[in-house]
Amino acid sequence: MWAYVLRRLLVTIPTVLAVVTICYLMLHATPGGPFDAELKVSDAVLANLQAKYHLDMPLWKQYLYYLNDLIHGDLGASFRYADWSVNDLVKRALPVSLAIGGTAMVIAIVLGVGIGIVAALRQNSAIDYIVMLFGNIGSVLPSFVLGPLLVLVFAITLPWLPSGGWDDFAPRYMILPIALLTLINVSTIGRIMRGSLIEVLSSNFIRTARAKGLPTRVVVMRHALRPALLPVVSVIGPLAISSITSAIVTESWFSIPGLGRLIVNGASDRDYTLVLGLVILVTVLAVFLNLIVDLAYAWLDPKIRY
Amino acid sequence: MNLRHMQSIARTFLTFALAAGALASACAATIPAGTVLSPRQEFVRNNGAEPESLDPALIESVNAAEIGRDLFEGLTSTDHHGTVVPGVAESWKQTDATTWVFKLRKTATWSNGQPVTADDFVYAWRRFLDPKTAAKIASTYAVYLVNGLDVVNGKKPVTDLGVRAIDKLTLEIRTPNPVPFLPGVVAVAQYSPVPRATIEKFGKDWTKPGNMVGNGAFVLKDWQVNSKVIVEKNPKYWDAANVALTRVTFLCVEDGNADLKLYQSGEEDMMEQLSPGAYTALKARYPSEMHNGPLLGLRFYALNNADPLLKDIRVRKALSMVIDREILSSKVTADGQVPLYGLAVKGLASIGQTRYDWADWPMDKRVAEARKLLAEAGVKPGTKLKFTYNNSDYHKKMAIFAASEWKTKLGLDTEMDSLEFKVLIRKRHDGDFQIARHGWVVTFNDATLFLALVQCGSEVNDDRSCNKKADELIAQGNLSTDPARREALLTQAAKLAMDDYPLIPLLQYSVPRLVKPWVGGYDDANGMDRYRSKDFWIVKH
Repeated sequence: MWAYVLRRLLVTIPTVLAVVTICYLMLHATPGGPFDAELKVSDAVLANLQAKYHLDMPLWKQYLYYLNDLIHGDLGASFRYADWSVNDLVKRALPVSLAIGGTAMVIAIVLGVGIGIVAALRQNSAIDYIVMLFGNIGSVLPSFVLGPLLVLVFAITLPWLPSGGWDDFAPRYMILPIALLTLINVSTIGRIMRGSLIEVLSSNFIRTARAKGLPTRVVVMRHALRPALLPVVSVIGPLAISSITSAIVTESWFSIPGLGRLIVNGASDRDYTLVLGLVILVTVLAVFLNLIVDLAYAWLDPKIRY
Repeated sequence: MNLRHMQSIARTFLTFALAAGALASACAATIPAGTVLSPRQEFVRNNGAEPESLDPALIESVNAAEIGRDLFEGLTSTDHHGTVVPGVAESWKQTDATTWVFKLRKTATWSNGQPVTADDFVYAWRRFLDPKTAAKIASTYAVYLVNGLDVVNGKKPVTDLGVRAIDKLTLEIRTPNPVPFLPGVVAVAQYSPVPRATIEKFGKDWTKPGNMVGNGAFVLKDWQVNSKVIVEKNPKYWDAANVALTRVTFLCVEDGNADLKLYQSGEEDMMEQLSPGAYTALKARYPSEMHNGPLLGLRFYALNNADPLLKDIRVRKALSMVIDREILSSKVTADGQVPLYGLAVKGLASIGQTRYDWADWPMDKRVAEARKLLAEAGVKPGTKLKFTYNNSDYHKKMAIFAASEWKTKLGLDTEMDSLEFKVLIRKRHDGDFQIARHGWVVTFNDATLFLALVQCGSEVNDDRSCNKKADELIAQGNLSTDPARREALLTQAAKLAMDDYPLIPLLQYSVPRLVKPWVGGYDDANGMDRYRSKDFWIVKH
């Protein structure tokens, strides 16, 4: 298995390289540049700025410069945030996104799996319908509707929590955004869990377990849960990535200084280095999370071996 | 300019200098007698976009400048009425047409207790305009200093810049031509002094909390990127006795809806600006908290004067005539902006407002005249126009209105081209447009900045218009030592330039925002819309 992990990690390198190259070319092909502003930058200043950021060189040479810095762990200087390097910006935004997205993901998994199990065990009963109805609200209502609703109820009508902002990981600022991201993901996980468990519960090996006289709790927890989790694990990878890196609506609505806002602002500001740095981060995270998902498969399903 | 003329100018300026000295005596915001202050003098203001930098030399945006002017103070400053008041300089005088002497106050210190000296200004200005600093708006302000542009362009060393320290507390500034509004120019954040020792010690990181040394009314406490900048009262500030607030939080919330929600839930005391379309309903809901002062800014449509269709003045005039600014203001934008029929906005210094004579005609007469002009120019109904704007609902609404005016009144079809902001401005600067959305807001109150929009060859003249007579009048006006004569000449120049219809003036900007009733110091008549935190106070509530 370790050889498999190593192989997968090594594959990350060409993947990142391919993503960086494509993204690099696309960014430079996009009309408008980082120094376009209402007050036109004079030619001399523009030349100085271009020299400062190596933009006066041919594209291939700029690219090699960038790769060289990248190899040395330097994501470069931000074009938009003059006082910060991309490393600084990522270092500050990543923990925020991890705290919000990661916590929401953990809660969504626990709740989603729980809801799925309850609904599957009481299939087509009132409990099933009620649990799935509430679970589905998260899927049906987009985040830009759910977010304002949460704020209206818990920040404005009942002034219990701040309506937005961020203060060094203070829990009161984190509750509503985490709740929003959880609601969005919980129904997806719950529905998949329910369907998967229903299917597993009708399998021959479950029937055998029941025939042996095992109580339902043991049948579900010891025999049905692991195989039923396989499809859930498949969706967790992409859901986690989007919760951590692309929670743009949530971050914007709650004014959270996370990665999503950096990506959006970076793109509109033509902050080449910032966008590239974040793309690399998302790529690495995607590869890493997919690897964890694959390893989880092996743990859940004894038939899978690496 | 001959010697006698120079001497005459010098005499006039010395008289003016006395007036400036008198002005220099009043500065800090005064809290009205009888005001009961809150024991908690903390203020949360939404400042919009994240500042691009807190280094005065690298500041570009209004948002960053607003924080910068709290952390650093220039020779002069702009108060909450939009008036230029003394800053580090306690007085100044114009010794001849192009030379100014600023006298620094002895009590001005850096937040580390070191005195602020004339050398600090010399260092800061040279650094700002040094090509190595690559300050994006260096050339905008370099034009006001002798050799400024040559320094920015790397043709002369920074030591040739027209600024020198006569002694520790006396700074001499030389301008390439008479700049009567110089005290306003040196109030901008970019011309603040910067602490040389700190910059040399920390390099790029000198603006980080813990490292930064400033000379403003506040010092940097915390900076959380894309979230907030927190500043606290600077006890070493020369006017600290008149600074009421102890802590100010600048939120970096760009989303207008999030801004409103933070205001409504009590997380902030002052909004940045209302979202488009929200004004009427919110004014009815919060009548006493709604503020909507006019801004020294012009909303207009740029016309490419070199375009094959628009190079004909008759076409440009017809397009301008038929847009009903009254309906645009009252029904389309519906946020208190004022209709405009000339270049200068209300409140702009050194220029009078001009107005097209047809502005008072009934619309039927305007349409008939516009149709006649188009017919004379050989433009037939069905002719296509191309309108470029940046993608926002607000601009789209205005664009659709303009297009419908041109269609229903002149029979012209308009193709809409919605672009990202960066792409729009690139296209405008490159002349790759026919009609484009544009807006202009001043950084200091003088007509010069507006006239630049129509001056031949000006970097900001995206219309590529040129009226040599108007340019001559502007040059004459700027050489004039008599403020009334200067104003008359500049007004005449604006009228002459606008008679060529280089652009379509539409509205004077306003800034609708909500401010909590306990915030003191806000002035709706402040057309600059710049607010130093030192001018605010919190009333007991």
